[in-house]
Amino acid sequence: MNFALSDEQKMLADSAARYVRERCDLESRRQAAKSPDGFSRRHWRHFAEQGWLALTLPEDAGGLGLGLADMVVLMEELGRGLVAEPVVDSAILCGTLLAEGNHAPSRAELLPRVASGEAILALAHLEEGGRAEYDTPVAARATPDGDRWLISGTKHLVCHGPAASHLVVSAEVAGEMGYSLFLVEAGANGIARDDYSLIDGTRAADIHFSDVPATVRLQGAGGAARALHHALDRAVIAGAAAALGSMEAVMDLTADYLKTREQYGQPLAGFQALRHRMAEMLVETEQARSLLYAALAALDGGDGEARARAVSGVKALVAQAGMFVTGQGIQLHGGIGVTEEYAVGHHYKALQLFDKRFGDSDFHLDRRARTAPTH
Amino acid sequence: MNLQLSPEDLAFRDEVRAFLREHLTPEIVYRSRTEVHPPNEADRRWWNAVLNTRGWAAPSWPVQHGGPGWTPIQRHLFEMECRLAGAPELRWQGLRLIGPVICEFGSDAQRKRYLPTILEGTEQWAQGFSEPGAGSDLASLKTTALLAGDEYVVNGQKLWTTEGGDAELGFFLVRTDTTSKHGGISMLIIDMKSPGVTVRPIEMINGDVSTYEVFLDNVRVPRENLIGEPGSAWTQTKFLLANERTSSADIDKAWGDLRRIRASAARERKNGRPLLEDPAFARRLAQLEMEVEALDWSVLRVLCGAPSRRPVAAAASVLKIKGSSLQHQLGQLAVDALGPRSLRLYTREQAFAAEPSALWPVDVPGARADQLYMRACTIYGGAMEVQKNIIAKIAFGLA
Repeated sequence: MNFALSDEQKMLADSAARYVRERCDLESRRQAAKSPDGFSRRHWRHFAEQGWLALTLPEDAGGLGLGLADMVVLMEELGRGLVAEPVVDSAILCGTLLAEGNHAPSRAELLPRVASGEAILALAHLEEGGRAEYDTPVAARATPDGDRWLISGTKHLVCHGPAASHLVVSAEVAGEMGYSLFLVEAGANGIARDDYSLIDGTRAADIHFSDVPATVRLQGAGGAARALHHALDRAVIAGAAAALGSMEAVMDLTADYLKTREQYGQPLAGFQALRHRMAEMLVETEQARSLLYAALAALDGGDGEARARAVSGVKALVAQAGMFVTGQGIQLHGGIGVTEEYAVGHHYKALQLFDKRFGDSDFHLDRRARTAPTH
Repeated sequence: MNLQLSPEDLAFRDEVRAFLREHLTPEIVYRSRTEVHPPNEADRRWWNAVLNTRGWAAPSWPVQHGGPGWTPIQRHLFEMECRLAGAPELRWQGLRLIGPVICEFGSDAQRKRYLPTILEGTEQWAQGFSEPGAGSDLASLKTTALLAGDEYVVNGQKLWTTEGGDAELGFFLVRTDTTSKHGGISMLIIDMKSPGVTVRPIEMINGDVSTYEVFLDNVRVPRENLIGEPGSAWTQTKFLLANERTSSADIDKAWGDLRRIRASAARERKNGRPLLEDPAFARRLAQLEMEVEALDWSVLRVLCGAPSRRPVAAAASVLKIKGSSLQHQLGQLAVDALGPRSLRLYTREQAFAAEPSALWPVDVPGARADQLYMRACTIYGGAMEVQKNIIAKIAFGLA
């Protein structure tokens, strides 16, 4: 067992940390949140040039073929810089679905464009009545029409839907048990969007499909749910790494603040109640980080149940720990912590997003409870 | 990065499992799993000797002094397997605390005299650190040892000497120099049968005696019983603690507790269904299992020297805080699973002798005794609040 980063991973972490330090200041993050895409195209191009979007995509389709552990190293650094760009949604979540899908031509044609950032993929899956992508009801229908399907239905909370070039859509084909996954162009006829912003500036949409033609079925009813769960698991782990980056950033900011801010004639660090809170924040952060390693190990070597158990654990624990750490970060800062002008509140919102996307802590705790224990 | 156990580690684990299967008897396992404190003394001494025949009694010792030469991961696997198999928990004081200190700092004569009987389990040790006036602030201890010819004359009072009632030997922190706070403290080996040593039991809230007060009244101790140089005990104590950096997580006990709770909840009924299927209970259990698994990986990270953004020295306090907090929660969940019958008081003797019945199942006697006893775990070995001070200082530079 060895936790050390490889030389390549160290270089990856260093280059990402440098970029975050030099280019991802809070002002640019706030501007990105107010832009039409909700993220920075400049950052997005840089990520693509650095190969960060290609990192875990397969080598035979323009990717670098690296592992999820490498992605975790990268995402933690990007999380420190409050990454708003659709790295997880496009390159990990939908990228995995496309790479492992059953449609060779679209894989060969589109994946290199995902890697280059030219194409942005978004998942259109959640529907009314659904609280988690893992088990949302799917009422959307795909009707066979010659050598294509016509998709109708409404998808909810499609993150980065407004900026997406392509959508991965779930819909059930009449007569089949369970949904299939289709790839459609975001500009296809019959698509209408209601766009809105999420709390962190991420742009999302409700998307109405009305007989939208689809020629690419990535997964049939037999394998779609399994493929999607696998892709979601990978997205959860990448997102958890970014969340850890937020927690580390908040601890750094808060420790610095306690040393410089003075009240009652002394630095805040002089108050034991506040020092103890910092210690508690570190304890919870370390717990969260440890379970991230457990999940990487399970995804690498475990069976299906062990993977579900580990991923749900990391999702629930990182969310709990992260909301505690970033929430206490706000508290220890006082009023400045709840302003838009200060980074702590932005990290707090990033954790709120992490908690609610892909199933919240309660969902994942229950999912984990249904699996057999480790010992 | 490689997060899997190596084939060698897996083979090692199999070897340990086979050994445990071969040697542990159902009676021994039954008594161990009652989780009563302190465990059955005869069982512990017997198990100590059995492990010693295989060279496995002292996993943390250097090979030249009788250690097995295991990697930190192997040591961790060994302890986990022993716990899950229901092996008696060996006494820490000799094997894990003073033993490694004698290996590192002791004279050849001291090693020759004391190490063999620790390995065999034939002499047990008491730890004399805390005093009525020196708890968290250990360095303010007042017990004195003044040199008179070739002997030290020791006077003072020690407190919280765990399992000191039947110990043959003790290692004591004593003040050989009253002019320097930390630099005036020495570690002295005292024969517990020496004239002037009085051991008084302290009854704990679980109704049992597991810790003692030790009065030292003009106790004469040979000069050669001092370990290392006079005034060097603070360094030795830090070494002792660093040697046990991950054990305060109590991770093998936590996994054992979870198994016990799961078994209780599978049997207990609520609204006619197994308690394990009650959504609120299932979620509490899942939450704790998740936290224990995280702690397990925290231990592995420390054992493997994983890279860390913050000073590694803070990690021991992180493990201690989370491990002891989880012990409280596990203890509470264990008695909650049993419901009102967890209120019955069992003494140690009653617990070992109890005949399980439908009204009083096998896990009842130990669950409450353990839960009450483990309230101490956020206090002993450096209180929770002291650990938080340490983290704030080491990890964040806040003081």
